[in-house]
Amino acid sequence: MEPFELICPAGNPAALRAAVDAGADAVYLGFRDETNARNFPGLNFSREDVAEAVAYAHARKVQVFVAINTYPQAGNLAPWQRAVDDAARLKADAVILADVGLLDYAARRHPDLRLHLSVQASAANVEAIRLYRDAFGVRRVVLPRVLTVPDIARLNAEIDIETEVFVFGGLCPMAEGRCSLSSYATGLSPNKQGVCSPASHVRYEPRGGDLASRLGGFTINIFGEGEQAGYPTLCKGRFVSHDTPAYLFEEPTSLNAMELLPELKAAGVRALKIEGRQRGKAYIATVVAAYRRALDAFAKGQAVPKLDLDAMVEGGTQTTGAYKRAWR
Amino acid sequence: MRDPGMQTDEPTDDDRARAVEVNLTRAGLRLARQLGDGLGGLLFDRLFRILADRHPRAFAALVELPDARLLIDPVDAPAALLLRVGPQLALRVSERDAQADATVRGPCGRLLDLLEGRIDGDALFFRRELTIEGDTALILALRNTLDGEEMDLFADVATAAGPLRHALPVARRNAGRVLRLLDTAHRLAPPPLRWGLAALERRVAGPRREA
Ligand code: SF4
Repeated sequence: MEPFELICPAGNPAALRAAVDAGADAVYLGFRDETNARNFPGLNFSREDVAEAVAYAHARKVQVFVAINTYPQAGNLAPWQRAVDDAARLKADAVILADVGLLDYAARRHPDLRLHLSVQASAANVEAIRLYRDAFGVRRVVLPRVLTVPDIARLNAEIDIETEVFVFGGLCPMAEGRCSLSSYATGLSPNKQGVCSPASHVRYEPRGGDLASRLGGFTINIFGEGEQAGYPTLCKGRFVSHDTPAYLFEEPTSLNAMELLPELKAAGVRALKIEGRQRGKAYIATVVAAYRRALDAFAKGQAVPKLDLDAMVEGGTQTTGAYKRAWR
Repeated sequence: MRDPGMQTDEPTDDDRARAVEVNLTRAGLRLARQLGDGLGGLLFDRLFRILADRHPRAFAALVELPDARLLIDPVDAPAALLLRVGPQLALRVSERDAQADATVRGPCGRLLDLLEGRIDGDALFFRRELTIEGDTALILALRNTLDGEEMDLFADVATAAGPLRHALPVARRNAGRVLRLLDTAHRLAPPPLRWGLAALERRVAGPRREA
């Protein structure tokens, strides 16, 4: 039985080293611009950083994937094409792309470069995935976080390219690459500018013991004293409906699918992905080490150790997300 | 960094050493406030030069930020710090109510953990151990820049301290061990001896040792 591949995030060179040292099989990262979906201030890699990262990772037999997974602006393709060219030149093991134009460019210009389809492409059915394989030679698809495990099993039975699924971290509950909530509130979106709910439009206001979070001038949540807080995204906003404040889309919670390793293996999943390029290296080291330990135990047929990752997660709670529940 | 599978309520040697560092930091802030802007400012400039030598990439990034002031408020320390980022990068001791573009508030130990990347800022924020106000992008830029470094404030300063350079990390490691031995002795000792040990412990860790 082929072991799962563990794909880990890195938002900076120190986080990359932490991920490699903690047992990642591959690390994914982005350049310091709008070409990737974690375009946060102070985050990401210069070209020199990527060269050093690749050298560090390859010396330890760990792969590096470069995420170039936003949609190029009309009439301004150059930064995205340059990102693909540089990833190939810097010897990345794969690029993670979402846009069909960019996939086409990469397939023609760099036929030897391994192409992965980003979750941002939201390819969730057999026809879409076959199209990406046939048209561009995509070798792996990162599945959107809206599928159940039986959905994934059915999909894998009908396609012949690898699938990668998220197992830990922040949840994007909408169909990824299609969500316009951030654009609505701020004019900026993860799909084009690479950032959902950009920090420039976020304000936190302590109100007595409460904490109000505001996005683009809208108050989207008020956390009571002692209540765990979450990211300031509209999908996890708490709104008053019929006089009752409630989470309408999703509660502040994080994905943790560690208990589903046997089901994911049976469903034919090749690689497991940890979310969190925006997180600090302490998160990366802790979560990657926990998953490494779990995967090693699982590969040996031993019981998966129960590891406490509560302290790391949004809202202080964990969920198996759509994997285990019927979609609302 | 703690192994998630090995969590216990027992403070580790590292926790104990950190308690010593927190007390040193508090004492440093008190001293800097007493020295005032002149001499205190010189001390901070020296500290900044040491850190800039060790972490040129991070300091270059901080200089490139637009001019802005960030108030760093360790709520359990005698004073706060005002960090000016941008071309006139500087750090000064400050009152807690100083005007700033953004404010980060939290316990001194947590802020040190954050500075050195020992803890994840988002996790601290989720748990409400950290309060942030004002320009969120500025705070994020600073956090991400510092997290990209492998910074160890006390070791960095020790490295610059010439002959002390090997002594400080060893002293810090041993402080953790000594405090652990004291803890054990404390638990096993009869009450009168326990009071004596408590007094000794306070002298090693400072008056407000946190476990
Ligand atoms: S608003 Fe929520 S669902 Fe939409 S992109 Fe942001 S995190 Fe994802």
